Amino acid sequence: MSETPPSAPTTFKVQLTLSGREIECRADQFVLFAAKDAGLRLPCSCTRGMCGTCKSKLISGTVDMTPDGGIRQREIDQGWILVCCSKPTSDLVIER
Amino acid sequence: MTAHPSIPDLIARRKPGHNLQADFYTRPDIFEADMAAIFWRHWIYVGVEPDVPEAGDVFVVDIGRASVLIVRDDDEEIRAFHNVCRHRGSRLVNEQKAVVGNIVCRYHAWTYGLDGALLFADHMGEDFDKSCRGLKPVHLRSVAGLLFVCLADDPPTDIDAMAAAMTPYLAPHDLPNTKIAKSVEVIEHGNWKMTMENNRECYHCGGNHPELNVPLFAYGFGFSPKTLDEAEAAQARRYENLVTDAHARWEAAGAPSREINHLSDRVTAFRTERLPIDQAGESQTLDTRVACKKLLGRIKDPAMGGLSFWTQPNSWHHFMSDHIVTFSVIPVAAEATLLRTRWLVHKDAVEGVDYDLDNLTRVWEATNRQDAELVEVAQTGLRSPAYEPGPYSPYTEGMVNDITGWYLDRLAANLDPVDA
Repeated sequence: MSETPPSAPTTFKVQLTLSGREIECRADQFVLFAAKDAGLRLPCSCTRGMCGTCKSKLISGTVDMTPDGGIRQREIDQGWILVCCSKPTSDLVIER
Repeated sequence: MTAHPSIPDLIARRKPGHNLQADFYTRPDIFEADMAAIFWRHWIYVGVEPDVPEAGDVFVVDIGRASVLIVRDDDEEIRAFHNVCRHRGSRLVNEQKAVVGNIVCRYHAWTYGLDGALLFADHMGEDFDKSCRGLKPVHLRSVAGLLFVCLADDPPTDIDAMAAAMTPYLAPHDLPNTKIAKSVEVIEHGNWKMTMENNRECYHCGGNHPELNVPLFAYGFGFSPKTLDEAEAAQARRYENLVTDAHARWEAAGAPSREINHLSDRVTAFRTERLPIDQAGESQTLDTRVACKKLLGRIKDPAMGGLSFWTQPNSWHHFMSDHIVTFSVIPVAAEATLLRTRWLVHKDAVEGVDYDLDNLTRVWEATNRQDAELVEVAQTGLRSPAYEPGPYSPYTEGMVNDITGWYLDRLAANLDPVDA
């Protein structure tokens, strides 16, 4: 019995350029899991920001990322994100 | 088929003061013994702190089959580990240089912290104890910014004595605050001992190194006094006085300069001396002037000569007022050797503004090329059935005698029972 809650969370469009897919991702959802819900199995392992397996290039957009040692600040500065621990704060284009 | 003489037999039959028998330079089994007894049991010079300038920087060096990763941790500590996953042995970092968050095996994503602890390994079950699957550490020592590793469980303890003696000599050049302006790798087609022995004499310099002969004094590396004519003898005396005066001046300025020689009486064997440079006296360049306008560390006088530092079994270094050139020798096969040369300048120096890279590297690029050729012709010649070990010059090949003597002693001391 899925009912739209009174205040629906914001969703953003996430374009995955290598997969050739566009998916929806809620603002409170990690991109990796939104992709999984849409049937896309992106490379990942620890799913909590440690291993860096899901490191991807963010072509455009902004995210709220909470990594746990799997990415360096200078990689972030160069536009890399870990999709397992990144929530969108805008529409995104990701090279994945 | 004739059996090869055993290694202990060869050691016993070596004629003192003579070159080694060809077997030592050509036999694959002796190459394996060299790796196990020399390169896996002694302190090996592999690189410099500026190879890993920032936290998360990784530098990989292969010492034979043993791959070692060197990483700078978030607490700025430089550590070394075997570059082998504790799961199924995969190589962890496959590039020579990398930037990592954690150290992650690409095969099954086993994830290690920069302190080597295993942080994550999926699907291993509840009984799996991560705490006993950390990366295997490798002993690492930074001697004023020069990185030495030792693969032995119990490394030679006299690295402390070398570090204590050398730190005052090296510290004025402040190597930790330099950057690598250029790094080149050359594969020399000869045994590693050929490369080292060639480094340990300048008997060959006069006829082979036109570029290096500009800054280098011919009399700094030994000569036969009886065969000098009067003019040459005067030159040699002038050089001797120059050394005495220069040492006094440099030491007064806080830069230790006098020779220390432990090339043959230590396990972690080394020699150092600050030597004058000819003409302008500043640097090992074609015009003998500094190649970089920003001087190193707290040095004010560009004419600091060149502090040479030689270590057994595999390195030599020249520290000048404006740059450092440093050489690491790693055996690849019985008849192939990797020579890695790095030129270091002040970390704030800007290429094209403070230094011209060609001018900085020209002398040693040319010298390396010439030395690689010499090593190859020497190696090729020594394969002939006509080769028999010839005598070293008592005046110019003392350091060759030191390294071959050191090598045989250390080989004998570390031979596996099966080789012995």
